[in-house]
Amino acid sequence: MISIYKKYLPAAMLASMMAVAPAVTAQEEADTTATPMVQLAYRQVAADEVLGGAETINIADLMKKNYINDLNGTTLKGYVPGYNGNSLWGSDANDGRLLVLIDGVPRDMNNIPPIEVESVTFLKGAQAVLLYGSRAAEGAVYITTKRGHDGDLKIDAHASTGWAVAKRLPEYLNSASYMTLYNEARVNDGLDPLYSAEDIYNTASGVNPFRYPDVDMYSKDYVRRTFNRTDGDLEISGGNQRARFYTNINYYRYGDYLKVGESKNNYTDRFSVRGNVDVDIVDAVSAYVNAAATFYGSHSAVCDNDKFGNYWSAANTFRPNRVSPFIPISMINPGALAALELVNNSSNLQNGMFPGGTISDPNNIFSEYNFAGDSKFTSRQFQFDAGVNVDLASVTKGLTFNAKFGIDYATSYTTSYNNKYATFVPVWQNFNGKDEIVSISQEGKDEHSGVQNISGSTSRQTINFSAQFDYARRWADVHNFHAMVVAAGWQRTFSGEYHKTSSVNLGFEADYNYDKRYYAEFGLTGVHSSRLAPGHRQGWSPSGTIGWRLSQEEWLKDSEAVNELMISASASKLKTDLYLTDYYMYSANYTNGGWYSWAPGGQAAAYPKRGANENLTFIDRTEFSANIRGDFFNNALSLNASFFTHKLSGLPINNSTKFPTFFSTYYPASSFVPWLNWDANRRTGYDFGITGRKQFGDVYLELGVNATYYKTKATKRDEIHEDAYQNAVGKPVDAIWGYRCLGFFKTDEEAASVDQSALGSAELKAGDLRYEDVNKDGVVDSKDRVYLGRGGWYGDPFTLGVNLTAKYKGFTLFVHCTGSYGAKSYKTGSYYRPAGENKYSSYALDRWTPANANSATLPRLTTTNANNNNRDSDFWLYSRDRFEIAKVQLTYDFPTHLFSGKVVKGISLFLSGDDLVMFGKNRKIMETTVGGSPQYRFYNFGAQVTF
Amino acid sequence: MAAGLLMVSTASCDDLFDPAIENIRDANAMDTEAKYADAILGSAYILMPYSSGPVNDVATDDAVSNDLSNAWLTMAGGGWTSQTGVSTDNWRDRNASIQFLNLFLERVDNVPFSTTPGINQMFVDRLKGEALGLRALNMYYLLQNYGGKGTSGELLGVPIWQESYDATTDMNVARNTFAECMEALLKDVNEASQLLPTDFVDLSNNNQIPAKYAGLGVDFMDYNRVFGSTTWTRMSGRIAEAIGAQASLLAASPAFQGSGVEWSEAADYAARVIDRAGGLAGMAPDGHKWYTAEVIGNNTISTANHDEIIWRGGYEENSSIEGDNFPPSLYGKGRVNPTQNLVDAFPALNGYPISDPRSGYDKNDPYSNRDPRLDLYIVTNGSTLGVNNAIVETSTDAASTDGINKESGRSTRTGYYLRKLLRNDVNPNSTNEVKKYHYTKRIRYTEIFLAYAEAANEAWGPTGKGTHPYSAYDVIKAIRSRAGIGTANGDAYLEECKASKETMRTLIRNERRLELCFENIRFWDLRRWQADLKETARGASITGTSFNYIDVEPRNFADYMIYGPLPYGDILKFSNLEQNAGW
Repeated sequence: MISIYKKYLPAAMLASMMAVAPAVTAQEEADTTATPMVQLAYRQVAADEVLGGAETINIADLMKKNYINDLNGTTLKGYVPGYNGNSLWGSDANDGRLLVLIDGVPRDMNNIPPIEVESVTFLKGAQAVLLYGSRAAEGAVYITTKRGHDGDLKIDAHASTGWAVAKRLPEYLNSASYMTLYNEARVNDGLDPLYSAEDIYNTASGVNPFRYPDVDMYSKDYVRRTFNRTDGDLEISGGNQRARFYTNINYYRYGDYLKVGESKNNYTDRFSVRGNVDVDIVDAVSAYVNAAATFYGSHSAVCDNDKFGNYWSAANTFRPNRVSPFIPISMINPGALAALELVNNSSNLQNGMFPGGTISDPNNIFSEYNFAGDSKFTSRQFQFDAGVNVDLASVTKGLTFNAKFGIDYATSYTTSYNNKYATFVPVWQNFNGKDEIVSISQEGKDEHSGVQNISGSTSRQTINFSAQFDYARRWADVHNFHAMVVAAGWQRTFSGEYHKTSSVNLGFEADYNYDKRYYAEFGLTGVHSSRLAPGHRQGWSPSGTIGWRLSQEEWLKDSEAVNELMISASASKLKTDLYLTDYYMYSANYTNGGWYSWAPGGQAAAYPKRGANENLTFIDRTEFSANIRGDFFNNALSLNASFFTHKLSGLPINNSTKFPTFFSTYYPASSFVPWLNWDANRRTGYDFGITGRKQFGDVYLELGVNATYYKTKATKRDEIHEDAYQNAVGKPVDAIWGYRCLGFFKTDEEAASVDQSALGSAELKAGDLRYEDVNKDGVVDSKDRVYLGRGGWYGDPFTLGVNLTAKYKGFTLFVHCTGSYGAKSYKTGSYYRPAGENKYSSYALDRWTPANANSATLPRLTTTNANNNNRDSDFWLYSRDRFEIAKVQLTYDFPTHLFSGKVVKGISLFLSGDDLVMFGKNRKIMETTVGGSPQYRFYNFGAQVTF
Repeated sequence: MAAGLLMVSTASCDDLFDPAIENIRDANAMDTEAKYADAILGSAYILMPYSSGPVNDVATDDAVSNDLSNAWLTMAGGGWTSQTGVSTDNWRDRNASIQFLNLFLERVDNVPFSTTPGINQMFVDRLKGEALGLRALNMYYLLQNYGGKGTSGELLGVPIWQESYDATTDMNVARNTFAECMEALLKDVNEASQLLPTDFVDLSNNNQIPAKYAGLGVDFMDYNRVFGSTTWTRMSGRIAEAIGAQASLLAASPAFQGSGVEWSEAADYAARVIDRAGGLAGMAPDGHKWYTAEVIGNNTISTANHDEIIWRGGYEENSSIEGDNFPPSLYGKGRVNPTQNLVDAFPALNGYPISDPRSGYDKNDPYSNRDPRLDLYIVTNGSTLGVNNAIVETSTDAASTDGINKESGRSTRTGYYLRKLLRNDVNPNSTNEVKKYHYTKRIRYTEIFLAYAEAANEAWGPTGKGTHPYSAYDVIKAIRSRAGIGTANGDAYLEECKASKETMRTLIRNERRLELCFENIRFWDLRRWQADLKETARGASITGTSFNYIDVEPRNFADYMIYGPLPYGDILKFSNLEQNAGW
């Protein structure tokens, strides 16, 4: 408690100083403005006075024409300049570094139904996140929930139901094609074909699919093409001058594509309630309380075999000819009594069929989903936050005090029944042209423990608090001054983790404007990180911003062409500990771990986790940004554009170029290498948003375009390369590296003439890939890897959002499109790069053969690991450029006059489609999900009734 | 509200202003905690270079792997570079181990092992001896992996680290010569063997206490606490000497001429270890099948060794090596596939190589009338394996996937499966799993016998004895007789070979290949002998009764690959570090 007092002391002193300072004659109170307010850090500012760095989506308004089920990067992409669906201004938002605040408390974006949300503010500029301290340094998203308003009781009921329709399913070869091509691969490798012509014929003819299996994992017998999602909620709000409330009860449930065994019952549902209350206790004191509870559950079939993962990953690996999952008992020769007895003892017979297997494949995903049991994942979240506002005008005019406190609790666990089961390996014979099973052996045993297992229990607690003094005054009608001091901190505790995630900082901000024309803002935050060594734990983050609101100048004030125009520029330097992933990274810290034993004894060994570096310090985000924003031609056109450049410097690394490789080992995981602030990255770019709106008779049209472009550059790296082209410095941070492919070897002689043996294939032949020997040393090896393009790891380099709203009488049409450009990806995995025992996709049909040497799109097939051909090279690279129609919604609001004097005050219906169309050269690749649940278009129908 | 803030402030200050306390220690904690000091030494024990099964044999002419992602397979196919992990891992782990040992050695004299000075002295001696022995072990593996002629042509070893380093140490140092490294290694071995008892065995009375401790006021119970059987399988005097013997054989070999170690010295070192076991008479009669169910059984006394074993790991009850190497019909992955090359190296039962007409080798019945070790170490087509003695068919027309190349990643690629190191009474089938005791052999006597034979033959000829009562010929005769070959004809072929050093050399190398197969020895043997690295690994594709010998995997090694590469990363960083020629 004493330490807390000490930390807060400066805040209190600063506040009291400010309270005394303005002895100037204060003539008027700070005025209130009617323009919409934007949530910035710890305060709200009139939209036309924001000095850049922040963008807001009014979700409550948007939902009237664009009903969205979930808040996430996809559903929010393209609505505001600066947010590309992944990050703000291309900053490194990965690994949860983008801070999401709901009503000021760090929370999960996926745990708030959009219907409960009033607005989402993207705090992209350094000046905008300054006051949130260290852990907001890569940007913050502030979600504000709805609140009650003074007025009649208002009840809104929403219901919607829709179908997800799979966009595109992976295409795999059937058994006969697979076997034929596998034989070709064997011959390519100098081996004999594995499958006889007879086997292939029998498989292709489908004469006996139980002996010659041909399992299509994406058959309609196993995978539905659609599943349903239904949402419903009830909003009740109201209040009076003293107290106001908003409540929401929300439920959704959706199904799954799968219909194999227990998986046909798969579902996910979520139920939540929220209550937000505002109370004016006395005139000078008001308070609020928000509470929300979420119950999330999902039910699924169990797969206890790690080899398969889940159905989708199994679908990518389980070859069609391997096993018949179910075989009719009637196929057993009636004289094979032992076999019949064995099978009839199984507790898993289905429709006269027994589960099939082989010694190599005793289990498969079908038997797992049918017999291995089922599980239920449960997650609960309770959120509570409250705050108080005290108007201290009685102490000092213009002074207010505000304190907030939040506490969240989240738990999750999985309950399951896990069963073991036997499968049966048939031995077939053909008698007089008829296949019969003559004997059977058993793999595994049937075991139903009947015990409910509980696993994966986790819990998480978040505590958040802040206290602030605000001082706002206006003097001489032209001097507008506001200052605040904020002390804030939050802390998150995870089950099973000793250390907590913490943030604590003390912020000061002062802003002044002269006659709402000339603006100046200064912010200073003292951040504290307990991850650093004593004496290095404090840092200061300053920020300065100036703005000129030209539209308030006499010479523009009455212009019809320019209704609003503000230009601003900002410079900041933020200190963050976001990249210090652990505590005590500055100390050598020997640990006990690993086990060494001798015949009668043993104990844990001791070794250092790292070398010491007491000087380890904060990472800096140094930023300059400029913004122009205006409304023109009677507000028919709005423009908003920013330029930004920021550098992240002092990123911690274990500098490998200074120390030999043996300073670190894998087991035990020891290291004598210290952490050092070293790497630096620059991000530069621009964003803009243009909206035009016009009424044409009965028709209202609004068209908006939002765009974000960023580029990245590694400006400092710890590296040594023989060849300069391998240096990461100067290349994008999200660089993709690989070999430069020169196409297929045309002849075996050509293949024998070059040395690519370092890539790991013993023998190269015509139809294998040839790579460029970039450094001309006669050998192709890892020194010939070059920069090939940008991966867009922080969002596609250039993203575009285009949205159109058209209104005619009660009808509203809303169309939202997104464009994404400049990023490349590798085609990865066996679907695109088959080798060895991989399942073959339809791409294998276009493999290299002597006959199609000129049109082939894959190297020759092989049963080896294809180390040479499957190296990352531009052969496998594709552009992710695409333009998507992300949303189309038609809404009809029944005319209000129908409801005058009725209980029902309004009805609205909508029909919508999500993720409808993608345009792009590589659309097929981007739309196909391999090894995972297929992407879908979502067709939704919904209604809103207001009481 | 205020109450809430109060609660937050008092309840959860950890990590907010100061980090939650951790038990942070550094190397200096050794000065006060004996167990902690031992734990530092423990890191060096963990980093020891031993494997429980065949690893690099699949990059030799003895075996191939059916795991197509195996790193050694890639290497043998031509993918060996100075960045290949499996060949540079030793650089990391050996040097890191030496760092722990140096950290320990710098402080061991001051560690408070006991408040009784006599006992403390014994602890210091033992642990210092262990550390020195381990440092020699690490140097041996460093020299094996990285010793070689540098770009300058000089025979180089590795930088010798005898003091611990930290982030401020200048690491840009040149490699010491191979000779300097051997000198340091043998010095460590000799010091270790002086500080350590031959074995850690319990004494039963005070009279047995070694003279150097007798005057320190300790009784035999005190001695047993430090040097007794509770320390079994840690570095002992016998082990340190065996490492000396291994290293001197390496140094005396053709690839390391100029190392300063002569063949005679290598023979003397080996003899020293052999004499600890009672000379030639001490050769264990079942030493060539120490791993089998009949020898190990369920007899798992932790504080004793089979006569064959110089150093081993602990007993572990499992089925993992069988799960890796049994054929698929016995629920294995069929990983290590012995080659036709190795099969052909086993002589006929009468001791003649199968290429010799006198062997009576029958091309149509190639596995009959052969050296019994063939059946002991290798599963051939039609032989039996497993708890039910099931017949394993490796032929192309086999009914199960045991047949050659039936299923990639499970079936054999050569027509043979591994039998050595596996226990026949283990069942890796997860439904009916039967686990049995195994241990990792680290050093065994047969290797030292063969080291002696090789060195003595070079130094003194087949029947020369130096200062020892046995010759290379004597050793080889004992080993072949133990294996059961040439017993009916007085091993006529051996008698023929003893006529010259050259024929004897060939025979000794072949015996070494057979006896030590699948023990991660041949990969480096081929190199120190400067032998042919490029012999294609072959297999037998059997259909019915016809044998078709096939090429399975090329061995794409360049000539310079008799010496391994230093890691590329460190070569780039340190200008004084000289790479071996060719890399």
